[in-house]
Amino acid sequence: MRYLLTEAVTQSAERYPDREAIRYSGGSLTYTELESRSNSLARTLQELGLSRGERVGIFMNKGLESAVAIYGIMKAGGAYVPLDPFAPVARIGYVIQDCGIRHLITKEAKRDQIGQIFAEASPVEHLIGLAEQDGLAAHCVSWDDALNVPSHSLGIHLTEQDLAYILYTSGSTGVPKGIMHTHRSGLSFAEWAADAYGLNFKDRVSNHAPLHFDLSTFDYFASAIAGAVTVIIPEALTKFPTNLSGLMEEERISVWYSVPFALIQLMQRGGIENRDLSALRWILFAGEVFPTKHLRELMMMLPHIRFSNLYGPTETNVCTYCHVTEVPPDTDETIPIGIPCANVEDLVVDLDDQPVSSGEVGELLIRGGVVMKGYWGQPEKTANGFYRRPAFGQFEDVFYRTGDLVQLDPNGNYRYLGRKDRQIKTRGYRVELDEVEVALLAHDGVLEAAAYPVPDYQGSNLIEASVILKQGVALDPSDLVEHLSQRLPPYAIPLRIDILDDFPRTSTGKINRRELQSLAIERLAN
Amino acid sequence: MDRRSVISDYIKNEIMRNKNAKLDESEDLLGAGILDSLAILQLVAYIEKSLGIQVPDEDVQYDNFKSVNALVDYLQKF
Repeated sequence: MRYLLTEAVTQSAERYPDREAIRYSGGSLTYTELESRSNSLARTLQELGLSRGERVGIFMNKGLESAVAIYGIMKAGGAYVPLDPFAPVARIGYVIQDCGIRHLITKEAKRDQIGQIFAEASPVEHLIGLAEQDGLAAHCVSWDDALNVPSHSLGIHLTEQDLAYILYTSGSTGVPKGIMHTHRSGLSFAEWAADAYGLNFKDRVSNHAPLHFDLSTFDYFASAIAGAVTVIIPEALTKFPTNLSGLMEEERISVWYSVPFALIQLMQRGGIENRDLSALRWILFAGEVFPTKHLRELMMMLPHIRFSNLYGPTETNVCTYCHVTEVPPDTDETIPIGIPCANVEDLVVDLDDQPVSSGEVGELLIRGGVVMKGYWGQPEKTANGFYRRPAFGQFEDVFYRTGDLVQLDPNGNYRYLGRKDRQIKTRGYRVELDEVEVALLAHDGVLEAAAYPVPDYQGSNLIEASVILKQGVALDPSDLVEHLSQRLPPYAIPLRIDILDDFPRTSTGKINRRELQSLAIERLAN
Repeated sequence: MDRRSVISDYIKNEIMRNKNAKLDESEDLLGAGILDSLAILQLVAYIEKSLGIQVPDEDVQYDNFKSVNALVDYLQKF
């Protein structure tokens, strides 16, 4: 039996002590090594005063150390908080403040950025992974010292309801929000996934997604349950389809999981037709819609491989899935998001929160072990995110509101139709357009701002924006880009910002974003 | 302008979108998060347009694009 995410590693270390658990750029850790190093790190964190439920930041590019950090933090009773290594310092600083991170696990390569974070008041007291050096107002412990402590199990009492990790995502109020997952919610998904895709100890699973992106929980936790090896793809290589396809071949990846964009790039520029991908058996994708014509092309190139579409907001891990067996040649209709995972209950409601009849459009609500605990430090937002339905007049069933509009098709599969709000996906990343506008409005010279998505013609969206400046202000779009780059992660910065004298308006005087979007798309098409 | 400046200027002006940005020519463009997938495609298109060099897909690799220096070295074969 397993009720903690860390037990997956402990059990695989007993069953497959010498098998590889993690590979990265030629190096690797066996399950025994992963278990003992994460125990040592947990002990160090405990000695540094970490208490149950505390948040510990991971701020580094992915590698063997970050894998040890994930499990070490959870073994010490903490929740790991992956910080996007490419996000602006101010955003990292905000997350550290927001969830009160006292312990931060990092690397020498991040020393400069840590220095900048410390330029503002910071709750961080202990830095693990940095050698002691003058100039940082925190206690430093080198990585070697952190691991140079006994490596047997700590024997801390935790339950499945303990916090395991917090993933920060774009928030509509202008600051990111932290999605809290427990061991139960993480494990509910991972157990289902390991079973649904038949993972076993011979599998070699890709880790393409960054750690702050929820796809990574499959790569680590489902693999650990099965005793499979997780092959971490260095961030730099994820940008080069040729390198990626080379890595798939050399590492004999058997299960691939990424956003559709990465797969489209691989297909169009990766030369996969010349690679030996005979080890590959599953391609899983999630994060946004896979354009049908590209998926069909990919499936024709790789006829021996099975494909599966996984769906779910970060708040629910994955909640529906669809094994795609064939894409008809004569349609570009979007593929379905499929059926609920085992142990997941679905409900579709209309605008008045009334269940719709089968086949009608409505918002998808989800109930089950996979659902998050809530948003960190935001009880009101958490309450709004849930829907309570009285059952038998005796108790309440609690569902998470996905905000996604769906429709059940005649085959019993859900189809995704769009968002209720202004959240979009760009290359798999989730961005609240309101957050982009709030960041633009934070500039002293900006009077009004509008952000809207435009197609990238590669199967995803990019963001564009327009602003009206305050009277007498002269600004160049590059000044606004510079301003945004201090506040938003690179993927959320508009590709183009137009400075206009006025906006098209609706009859009630609101900004007509749809019109701005149409104009932008028209311009792109020409 | 020589190729080095053409590439450096393009990265600063169009990718970092800050003409006053400091760009060390040996800096790891990927490790520092300067180049992402989209930027690499833009850069390849720009090299073709401004230098008349068609970079084959199989050469769009980490080793050739990891820094300004690496890219200039790679482009010498054309």
